[in-house]
Amino acid sequence: MSPLRRFLRAPEAVAGAILLSALMAMALSASLLFPSDPQAIAGPALLPPFQDWSLPLGTDRLGRDVLAELFHGARTSLAVGLAAAAASLAIGAVVGTLAGFAGGLVDEVLMRITDAFQTVPGFLLALAFVSVVGPSLGAVVIAIALGTWTGPARIARAEVLSIRERDYVASARAIGMHPLEIAFREVLPNALPPVLAMSSVIVAAAILTEAALSFLGLGDPNRVTWGGMIAEGRTVLRTAPFLSIVPGMALVLTVLGVYLAGEGIVETTAVRRGLS
Amino acid sequence: MSLLAASNLTKRYRRGGKTVIAVDDVSFHIEPGETLALAGPSGSGKSTIARLALRLIEPDAGRIEFEGGDFLALRGATLRARRARLQMVFQDPLAAFNPRATVARALDDPLRIHGIASRGERPRRIAELLERVGLPADLASRAVHEISGGQRQRVAIARAIATKPSLIVLDEAVSALDVSVRGQILELLLDLQREQKIAYLFISHDLGVVRAVAHRIILLDAGRIAESGEARAVVDAPRSAIGKALVAAAPRLDRSIRHNAP
Ligand SMILES: Nc1ncnc2c1ncn2[C@@H]1O[C@H](COP(=O)(O)OP(=O)(O)O)[C@@H](O)[C@H]1O
Ligand SMILES: [Mg+2]
Repeated sequence: MSPLRRFLRAPEAVAGAILLSALMAMALSASLLFPSDPQAIAGPALLPPFQDWSLPLGTDRLGRDVLAELFHGARTSLAVGLAAAAASLAIGAVVGTLAGFAGGLVDEVLMRITDAFQTVPGFLLALAFVSVVGPSLGAVVIAIALGTWTGPARIARAEVLSIRERDYVASARAIGMHPLEIAFREVLPNALPPVLAMSSVIVAAAILTEAALSFLGLGDPNRVTWGGMIAEGRTVLRTAPFLSIVPGMALVLTVLGVYLAGEGIVETTAVRRGLS
Repeated sequence: MSLLAASNLTKRYRRGGKTVIAVDDVSFHIEPGETLALAGPSGSGKSTIARLALRLIEPDAGRIEFEGGDFLALRGATLRARRARLQMVFQDPLAAFNPRATVARALDDPLRIHGIASRGERPRRIAELLERVGLPADLASRAVHEISGGQRQRVAIARAIATKPSLIVLDEAVSALDVSVRGQILELLLDLQREQKIAYLFISHDLGVVRAVAHRIILLDAGRIAESGEARAVVDAPRSAIGKALVAAAPRLDRSIRHNAP
């Protein structure tokens, strides 16, 4: 059975894939369906959902179109989630590879640094970083990566420790290849699969962290974010709860979708590797 | 002057509090164009000696002279440059290649690293190397993992001769191959030796093969040299206990392969 067929047989994986596809469709179509500025006023303030079909999810406290904000927020969430996860995996893979391959003092120093980062809660680290650097999309991405690269680093290191004993690494040394080329060209690509298997968890965590930062007002002020929408809705929670519930639901479904789809991929490819 | 002279090599491993002496005060020399066989039971230290000679691991004691210089004194870029002269072919040709490598990349690496051919020239050099080891040039674009075991070992040999080495360490290089393929690979190795005056450190537990291809032999037992001498003489009439045991265990002495007279 092909991995795709196996993936399609797992109901959670399919549910995840559907949620993820919906999120991507929202992110990609945001500027097509809602070309005007989502932060501009579109109608009367605090219009409840399903009243006016030109504003299906109603408006917020300032009269902004909630559906437009939701679509543009999907874009921010996805962009930050993917970029932060990519940065986190890249830092983790490089640090883990250097530590595992070099061994000795380099390994010792890099792993102590990893320990240090790991003992500080990731969210505090992100909070501190954005407070110092100032809120922007790039700062948020780096802030999230700072708190999540240690997991990939440890996994990459463990994998590299086993790969560096293989004959093909000895063979690369025997032909006189430079140690850095051996580490990054021979070893790292082969150490990646278990590191990449973490990406769904990291993307999901990154999306949540971004939302939390935005909720605290530390997101990029020039972009609509779901966290920012929830924070905005909080002030009118009693009278207009939907303003918090709608982006909240979107967040939950997105994180769930990323996680389920990611686990589905890992599961089906792991089974394939186990069988062959 | 010997091509390679190792004296008093010792290598210890510590495993769970116990110290294993993998190689214990071993001395030997290899002359240019010569095949020196290293035989002995499993665990007798053959691969450890191979790795020491290649400086893939460092000895606890001893000296290695290679091409008239102190090989153990070389560091960094000088050592890497020197590695062009001393190559290796491993037992398991699948494990010896990066799982992502294509044949072309496996052969391109040594040419590029040692500046043997410019980028533009390299495809032609790769084709020549493939032809030299009896493989079609169009094999270059294939992944190493999808060609046959015999072809793979030929690619490993092509990679080893790419830098024009004076010595190739063959650690059980034919042991994993089918008997028919083994004969062909041995023929290829002997041809290359005649043509390019390459010396071999030929590691094998198969005394039949050793008798057919080696000039001299060293028998190892538990990290020490048990016996050494002219290959045919030692295999035909071993004096040491381990030599007798190995000859008794040999399935049949393969005399079909033409001997490479010293
Ligand atoms: N990396 C290592 N760590 C610990 N012990 C080792 C290591 N490599 C080899 N040894 C031990 O050294 C001895 C010689 O091994 P080896 O050189 O591989 O023998 P051979 O190639 O003749 O089978 C064996 O007892 C083996 O267990
Ligand atoms: Mg061995």
